[in-house]
Amino acid sequence: MAAEWIEKLTGSFEDKKRYRNYRARVEALPTAYGDSVKALERYLTYAGAISAGDTLVQMLDDLAVLFEEAAANSTPLRDVTGENPAEFAEDFLANYSDGQWINKERMRLNSAIAKAAGEAGSS
Amino acid sequence: MGKQATEMLKGVLEGIVLAILGRQSAYGYEITAWLRDQGFTDIAEGTVYALLVRVEQRGLVDVEKVPSEKGPPRKVYTLNSQGRAHLDEFWGQWGLLVDRVESLHRPGATSAGATSAGATSAGASSAGTNATEDTAQEGTHHGR
Repeated sequence: MAAEWIEKLTGSFEDKKRYRNYRARVEALPTAYGDSVKALERYLTYAGAISAGDTLVQMLDDLAVLFEEAAANSTPLRDVTGENPAEFAEDFLANYSDGQWINKERMRLNSAIAKAAGEAGSS
Repeated sequence: MGKQATEMLKGVLEGIVLAILGRQSAYGYEITAWLRDQGFTDIAEGTVYALLVRVEQRGLVDVEKVPSEKGPPRKVYTLNSQGRAHLDEFWGQWGLLVDRVESLHRPGATSAGATSAGATSAGASSAGTNATEDTAQEGTHHGR
């Protein structure tokens, strides 16, 4: 019970725990892979503007798994990210668009146009 | 593989991956390795991974985690019935796209010829009428 209102103030404890776990896993990666994850995290956080904590943590978790697998298989870094890492980052980010702050505005825009077009169920 | 080929491949990559999984279950890196063997050398493993995350989110594949000696447990992807339905739809769309694009490629094909080919496959009689009008207009353009 108490945890519920505290979490409203602090954010989810579970998300925080998963985030700390993610940080530790990134630190454990070979330097080249760890540095890449950190650079991607920076880009994904800026470009993604993901406001939903659980979506953000899920995204970082998925990212870490990709590089952990790559490190375990000794997959060259370039084979993972391709020639244009920013393009890969965008492809990757698209999976988590539901959690983006801008998503509310996307839905608002679509329903505003539906209303203007007089479509049913758009009141 | 050039830039154009990579861009083209992007749109159909999901269908290709589902088709591979339709033949047999596979790990992510097995799919990337297969694509590279087939000459799709520019495909980043990360891109395939992002795609697998997406098809998993959309419930097109079943995922089984298998412990591995080194690294995190490996995910084995298997096409499920929803994925199979999605793949059937992909092949249908692919067939239509190939027909339409090829009709533009045929030697001596004009835009009017392509329109009537499209109308035939759609089986719409009204579209057929439009195609005739297009042909007439085309004739006028050539006359100028």
